[in-house]
Amino acid sequence: MLEAARAQVALVVGAEARQMVFTSGGTESNNLAIFGAITAASRRRKIISSEIEHSSILAPLAELERRGFEVVRVAPDSDGRIDPARVLATLNSDTALVTLGLANSEVGTIQDLAPLASVCSATGALFHIDAAQAVGRIPVDVAALGCDLMTLSGHKLGAPGGVGALYVRDAARIAPIVFGGPHEAGMRAGTPNLLGAVAFGAATEAAMNAMRDESDRIGSLARSLLKRLGETIPGLRLNGPLTGGLPNTLSLTFPSVLGESMLIALDLEGVEVSMGSACAAGAVEPSHVLRAMGRSIADARSSLRISLGWNNTADEIDAVAETIPAVWRRVADAEPLSEVSAR
Amino acid sequence: MKRRVLVAMSGGVDSSVAAAILREDGYDVVGVAMRLAPEPFAPASTAPVAKRRGTCCSHDDFEDARRVAERMDFPFYVIDLRADFAARVVDNFVAEYLGGRTPNPCVMCNREIKFDRLWSRAHALNADYVATGHYARIEQGADARFHLLRAADDSKDQSYFLFTLGQDELSRTMFPLGAMTKTEVRARARALGLATADKPESQEICFVPDGDYASFVERRSDPAQLRPGSIVDIKGKRLADHSGVHRFTVGQRRGMGIASGERLYVREIRAESGEVVAGPREELDSSGLIANRVSLVDDSIASGGELSVEVKIRYRHRALPATMRVDSARRAEIRFAAVGPAVTPGQACVFYRGEEVLGGGFIERAITAERAT
Repeated sequence: MLEAARAQVALVVGAEARQMVFTSGGTESNNLAIFGAITAASRRRKIISSEIEHSSILAPLAELERRGFEVVRVAPDSDGRIDPARVLATLNSDTALVTLGLANSEVGTIQDLAPLASVCSATGALFHIDAAQAVGRIPVDVAALGCDLMTLSGHKLGAPGGVGALYVRDAARIAPIVFGGPHEAGMRAGTPNLLGAVAFGAATEAAMNAMRDESDRIGSLARSLLKRLGETIPGLRLNGPLTGGLPNTLSLTFPSVLGESMLIALDLEGVEVSMGSACAAGAVEPSHVLRAMGRSIADARSSLRISLGWNNTADEIDAVAETIPAVWRRVADAEPLSEVSAR
Repeated sequence: MKRRVLVAMSGGVDSSVAAAILREDGYDVVGVAMRLAPEPFAPASTAPVAKRRGTCCSHDDFEDARRVAERMDFPFYVIDLRADFAARVVDNFVAEYLGGRTPNPCVMCNREIKFDRLWSRAHALNADYVATGHYARIEQGADARFHLLRAADDSKDQSYFLFTLGQDELSRTMFPLGAMTKTEVRARARALGLATADKPESQEICFVPDGDYASFVERRSDPAQLRPGSIVDIKGKRLADHSGVHRFTVGQRRGMGIASGERLYVREIRAESGEVVAGPREELDSSGLIANRVSLVDDSIASGGELSVEVKIRYRHRALPATMRVDSARRAEIRFAAVGPAVTPGQACVFYRGEEVLGGGFIERAITAERAT
């Protein structure tokens, strides 16, 4: 059963089953890729990434910096795009790893990463792609991208939390970070999460089969929602590219309100949106992605992310297109964004 | 339609029970925990797990509040008011100490955050009321005016901290614990199976959990703002030097650094010159005080000229019989009926008549026997 699930998961990114290591989720996959790569590349001291990565990339990089490694975080443009040339410009023979997300979780920007593989390979750096947000939403192929390592997350595809995978190209050398047994070809000790892996496999297969139709359907719902919100909320701004982003992700800056207040008001109306990243206690921090894209702290505090899923219907989008402007007007009236609150 | 109440929850037993009672009474309760403290005491990543705990606004406290919300089945959110709290409470706290006064940040937090900033949020969330776990009572009289009253449990009474509330605020505020004793509150929490039933009381000012105000003020100030100087007696004779007026409170005895035969107390702080005037106990006696930024629960009482009241000049002090007169600039002159104790500038003075809070203000200075003329 475990091997059947492994084959299902491998297939979605065009990999072989033997190349997939099951982990406890995207976070562990990213940690294994990063710490595994720098351990294996014993003398190289440099890691290249970007400013808009997920915290499961940024936090390991901050830890490595604390341990004396050199970390370069490339800045994106105002739409959240990473210019491959800027990555290549800093790549050298001291680089152990290049790690970049394929699609940004907050603004949906899809990166052009294919040009990086051959240069990484030529300089001896490992190339890791965090594809947790992309798999199941857009076609992803490890051969076309030419990466050495790729992170997949189970729960992003509808599997329960607690399962993920790391693709490891046959020739890529990384060291394990969890020791204790021969499981997962020695790459990840510990009894595998069989139920999670089976669900991951099934969810992957379902997502793959439905992807083209679903992407079109969700993309059209998202475009319709964006159009209607733009007509009813003067000054509404889309963060991220108008075309060529993830079809299901809308990052929007709502004028003159605190996003936190809108988020709670919408939640009380049964509309779930998200904002920046929640701290351990549940308070919301302004998005580091929007800041990196050049937005002010005030704009970042006024921004929300709307993610559409396979279970959203056109009727729901109609209802939300009414609710969001009404809530925005109420919040803007009751609690207009002050200079202090926007700090 | 059910009335919606935004309940400010700290993760302690009082606000937990306040929220639970309102939920049981059928209100549409929305719980919020406010993230306020500007300096979360972030422990090193190598600290023992058990030590990675703060004292207020900490992860654990918010999780406790969240567990209560889950248990009682109402929505709960953490809201980030750190910028407002820093600008409207902490900066004032620091400025008051630098100015030689002893602030009461809980009063400021109630005035600026809980019953102002939080009310805007309540309005944005379609709530009709804000509720807290304060021990105080609100009653509406036959004339529709609202009255702010001491708590039934005199040992827990917190009406002192709430004097800034006026008719508008009281009309949309609820204090569900006002008629209960602390023992009853804990019993209710246990009966409801709330995780916070046996949590200890918090005592210190929430954003200075180690209680070291002087170091906090120094961390948040420009060194050029600190006012070091001399400790002098009433005749101006230098007794010792000190490193800043923010380290002193009028009425305090300890920490003078003077070897003297008699016990010396801080009598006056002159922030401009850096002088701290010390003297024996009897030199601190006062006959009254001047308060500024006076607010009245019901403005209509001020029209009658001189009022007989009882005045509390510190939270833990007994209320003293006095007369008061408020002028149009919202300053009040208070005359004690008998000789009063040390009056500490910066502290709140709150006017009572029996059970009822009439209003209050912030102490500007003492009126001593000589000054009274």
